[in-house]
Amino acid sequence: MTGAAARSFVLLLRWQLLRTRKLLVMLITLQTALGIGIIYGFGFLVPHVTPAVALFFTTGAPTLSMMLIGLTVVAQETAQARVTGRFAYVSALPVPRVAPMLAEVTYWLLVQLPGWFVTLLLAVVHFHIHLQVSLLLIPSVLLVSLTAAAVGYGVAVSAPPAATTQLTQFLSIALLLFSPINFPLERLPEWLQDVHRALPITYMADLVRGGLTGNYGASMPLAFGVVTAYCVAGLALATRAARHRG
Amino acid sequence: MTVLDVAGLTKTYGDSVRANDDISLTVEAGEVFGLLGPNGAGKTTLVSQILGLLRPDSGRILIDGVDVVRRPDVARERCSYQPQAAAPVDGLSPREAIELVGRIRGCDRAEVRRRATALLDALDLTGVADRVAPMSGGMARLTGFCMAAVVPGRVVVLDEPTNDVDPLRRRAMWTQVRRLADEGAAVLLVTHNVLEAERCVDRLAIVAAGRVVAQGPPAALKAQLGAPLRLECTVEPGVPAPRPPASVTVTGTVGRRLLAHVQQQDLATAVEWAQDAQAQGAVTEFAVTPASLEDVYATWVASEGQPA
Repeated sequence: MTGAAARSFVLLLRWQLLRTRKLLVMLITLQTALGIGIIYGFGFLVPHVTPAVALFFTTGAPTLSMMLIGLTVVAQETAQARVTGRFAYVSALPVPRVAPMLAEVTYWLLVQLPGWFVTLLLAVVHFHIHLQVSLLLIPSVLLVSLTAAAVGYGVAVSAPPAATTQLTQFLSIALLLFSPINFPLERLPEWLQDVHRALPITYMADLVRGGLTGNYGASMPLAFGVVTAYCVAGLALATRAARHRG
Repeated sequence: MTVLDVAGLTKTYGDSVRANDDISLTVEAGEVFGLLGPNGAGKTTLVSQILGLLRPDSGRILIDGVDVVRRPDVARERCSYQPQAAAPVDGLSPREAIELVGRIRGCDRAEVRRRATALLDALDLTGVADRVAPMSGGMARLTGFCMAAVVPGRVVVLDEPTNDVDPLRRRAMWTQVRRLADEGAAVLLVTHNVLEAERCVDRLAIVAAGRVVAQGPPAALKAQLGAPLRLECTVEPGVPAPRPPASVTVTGTVGRRLLAHVQQQDLATAVEWAQDAQAQGAVTEFAVTPASLEDVYATWVASEGQPA
């Protein structure tokens, strides 16, 4: 990223923070409450939580959260910006095409951070699990967030705003129920396992889980390789969609 | 020096809606160029292509000689823009919104602060400059203007800048528009407020049904009307007026208003006829004024390309 591009990204992020400043405390509180709710609510959903299950669930929660932010929140905020004219206004400013998306996803990462911290801390205390956080968590979080946001942004820029809401709701349900984020891949039917071996979702969950526990599932290089490839492809498609002039 | 050069621009939506049809115009440095036309004439489509938001089907757009159809990034760099809809100022104070855009357009913090303060002061907004509250339509419009003017591009595009703005601040805004041009920008002013535009524009184009139907300085366009004076009568319904003399060319009626063009040498005859009509109760009042840009606009738009 050049100096001018980095500067415009920082200014767009500042714009986002300023315009939502009155909601920030509420948003961070809600994200934190959601994390607390997941840890305590999980006990009702699964009565006999073993440490292995608790570890899987706890370390899957941030991945799910990042994907939902990218695929639903970024997508819906972008669709809303298209309706209000904010998207066209920012598109007429001298900023790189993906800078608004990067600012949006960074903003939501910042909003989520306190909630993640509280959730993981509570999980350690409540389920007596052991976390082993490594620095590789940082590139993992960035890759997962960017990939999900690129897909959400691409959908929002290409599809009519009303369709974006429906599409992203469908994707949320598919992620929650049919993606091996909070449970092992082996629990799915074989054909769905094959589908997920070609999709990045399993590898995204593996990356974040690995960054928190040191256990990267099948292969750390494979997980990084697959997610990086999807991230590059997603950003290229999002940029192309943003550059499209009707 | 030509800054904006549009030639043969055509844009069609779908298979049939031709929003712009072979539009050609130029805007010089230091010039305020008015783009006048009714709703749906294709003005905003033209602006969107200049800004690089839409791709034309055919034609050329050059800014300082650079083909911005191929290089929309250059269009974004060299154009500053006030949209027809309110600028996205929700959650921000006017000063924050202006400074953010100024800095995104590449100016340093101290200089942007100085320029924003000067603009806010010129538009009498200092008292509300730092207030973070939902803005009224007029306040959002004024802030949007400042966002376009704080670090002006080589081309400054203002789309209906004075809508919802009170008369005093409107006047101040026109002064600032003139200042932008005087400092070297090419200002493209999109409006259907013809009376206000007349005071500010150096040249203009009238757009109707996607085509430029007339173009030139206001004085030259008024001269094309062929009559320097306008006779306006308020007629009394149900009372027949005496037949106007041949030298009074009736151009139309709007409600109870009858509009006509009159040559300078026929003024006495026209006034005499109007006084007769008034004496008979057919006309309640009348006035003779110099023909305005509004007359030019109404004539060209009504005929869609053929002056009356």
